[in-house]
Amino acid sequence: MTGADRPLTMEQIDALCAARAASPRPDPPYPYAGPLARHVRDGDRRLLRLTYDGSPASVRLWNFLLTEDERLAQARAAGRRLVGAMKDLGTVAALAYAYPGVTAFYTDGAWWIPCVMEMSEGLLGIASAHGLGEGLCPVRAMLGAFVTRRHFPIPDLLIASVGAVCDDLSAVAQRLESLGHPILWWEMPARRAPEPGEPAVALPGGLRAPAAQVAFVRGELGRVRRALDGLTGHALTDAELAAAIRAANAVRARLAALRELVFTAPACPLPALEHQIAEMLAVHFCSDRDETLRVYEALLEAVRARVAAGTGVLPADAVRVFWVNPVADLRAMNLLEACGGRLCGTDFLFCHALDPLPEDAEPMEALARAALADPMVGPAADRAARIASDAVRFGAEAVVVSRIPGASHCAWEGAAIAEAVRGRLGLPVAEIEVPPLTDALAPSIRARLEALVETARARRTR
Amino acid sequence: MICVGVDSGSRATKVALLDPAGELFLAAGAVDAGLKPEAVSAALLDRLLSDCGRRRSDVGAVIATGYARHAIGFADAAVTEITCHAVGVRRVAPDAATVVEIGGQDAKLLRLAPDGTVQDFAMNDRCAAGTGRFLEVVAARLGVPLDGLGALARAATAPAAISSMCVVFAETEIIGLLAQETAPADIVAGVQKSIATRVAGMAGRRVETPVFFTGGVARIPGMAEALAEALGAPVAVAPDPQMTGALGAALLACRRTPPKPGA
Repeated sequence: MTGADRPLTMEQIDALCAARAASPRPDPPYPYAGPLARHVRDGDRRLLRLTYDGSPASVRLWNFLLTEDERLAQARAAGRRLVGAMKDLGTVAALAYAYPGVTAFYTDGAWWIPCVMEMSEGLLGIASAHGLGEGLCPVRAMLGAFVTRRHFPIPDLLIASVGAVCDDLSAVAQRLESLGHPILWWEMPARRAPEPGEPAVALPGGLRAPAAQVAFVRGELGRVRRALDGLTGHALTDAELAAAIRAANAVRARLAALRELVFTAPACPLPALEHQIAEMLAVHFCSDRDETLRVYEALLEAVRARVAAGTGVLPADAVRVFWVNPVADLRAMNLLEACGGRLCGTDFLFCHALDPLPEDAEPMEALARAALADPMVGPAADRAARIASDAVRFGAEAVVVSRIPGASHCAWEGAAIAEAVRGRLGLPVAEIEVPPLTDALAPSIRARLEALVETARARRTR
Repeated sequence: MICVGVDSGSRATKVALLDPAGELFLAAGAVDAGLKPEAVSAALLDRLLSDCGRRRSDVGAVIATGYARHAIGFADAAVTEITCHAVGVRRVAPDAATVVEIGGQDAKLLRLAPDGTVQDFAMNDRCAAGTGRFLEVVAARLGVPLDGLGALARAATAPAAISSMCVVFAETEIIGLLAQETAPADIVAGVQKSIATRVAGMAGRRVETPVFFTGGVARIPGMAEALAEALGAPVAVAPDPQMTGALGAALLACRRTPPKPGA
């Protein structure tokens, strides 16, 4: 682990990039390039507290992530239709990108704004003032972003799933609608196992559901499709949708390859922080599907080079940790590595956005099957089973179940997942709570992660 | 060479000195943590060394544990309380299967593997309601010294129901109970039961026995009984429970201390 393979501060990253630019062999140009410090000037002060991977691919990843608001403003200025796709985490975005002139984005991704802006924007405070207090998931920050109108343009169409999805998001979206932002709601049933003899359909991720449930979701997505037809004045053909599914799968395939390499390489080739960011891109393509693909390809190239050279970004004996749920304060991912751990598997609550959309089914059927594979709409036992299976596959030595305060799914599912992992695999599990600002809890989180790493190390010699 | 364990906790600093074989307990002591963990730890270490006629140059390795473990600059390594309490308890109770440690501001439950290493653990969540801090608040509110709580609790006839999940609100609840003329003994017993119940909640559905109780709160009479009732299993208090973490740290220091030349 030398040079750019060490964790670097933002200042060091920018100095490194400047040196590369001035060298005889500068990094190739790419969209949205520039010093990371400019994002701090925009107010993202928490970025100063993180440490980063110094590879050009990772810097490109950060620049792509942190310029989404610019991208959306440019899209609006260029006359593109903006679609806010809420909650379904991947399916509606895949559909919306089938339309010419449409940019879809992850409106509820605004839950991350307080994570990088030191709460200086006061988005959570605005949400509280509208009756959405700390008892709800930080996704309530989205309401504040709609009120301030400073983070993204107001979409031309808002689409949200409701039913067996996130209760917190449903509450926030309903409040949003009451403030004068109409929402196209589509219903998601609670996925259940087929009854004996009941016609059933295989879903991505090795799941099965009654054919009737898939048909129902397909009907609901049909309403979404008609709304998009109306918005764009374009009657989408199945051939266009099939092409969009293939394009989405091309993105997902790159991410799948990246995950496989990162989780299985003997020396960890990509830090946990950048890995989490990379996975998040797949949900809604960060408002630019083509650039998402190129960012993944750059990351893959960098990671492959490290794997081939046998170099990693962490000590070779780092404890292999499977991480469940995304963190609201990104420092937690840095902390895992500071405590001697590395990622070797993840379930950030959107595994269905990582699995390939079925290409052997009729396109709307494919979308319905993928939507119904959402880990949030099925039993916690289904999710726990996949986590346990992946933990074995990737050789996890320990599991972290991270909770986000107020997020109802995290609260209910965390204990069930931890119990399942302990029971089936006998692995040590640490449950931690990571709020948007971890300062007060940092010693407690650190103690849990350090203890988990110590426990896993002790098991090696058992 | 002497092996040193420093347990720099939120309420007290504990230091244990062992011979390199980890067999002979040379000295041990505890003082209030204060605001400067390293200075307090160093002063206690120097006093203990002096008491047994040794000097700093006689010290082999130092392991720090506890809340301020990373602040002990003279330590060779920092190890969590989870690991140190497991090692410390196994030294005094080789058959221990479960360890409950309740300290000044957190509580932990450890499941040990047959070889004594930690198999899994759980810690209390954000609130201090399941920790020694709760007892401190009650003692202050009732005007009773901390070490007098146990004796007071023995006089309880009907332990009060303390429903609050938060120390701050629990204090309000206690004020309410006092206003209703609830006997202080019943309040203390109720608080002990509340702490024990919260800790038992971390155990899940299965508690392997024997269960050993360590940490400063284990010294308070009545807590072990409350814990046993909540866990539904017998609970033994580890010998000198406040020192278990420091003992474990010292034993880990022994593993790092090279044997004496020629020994």
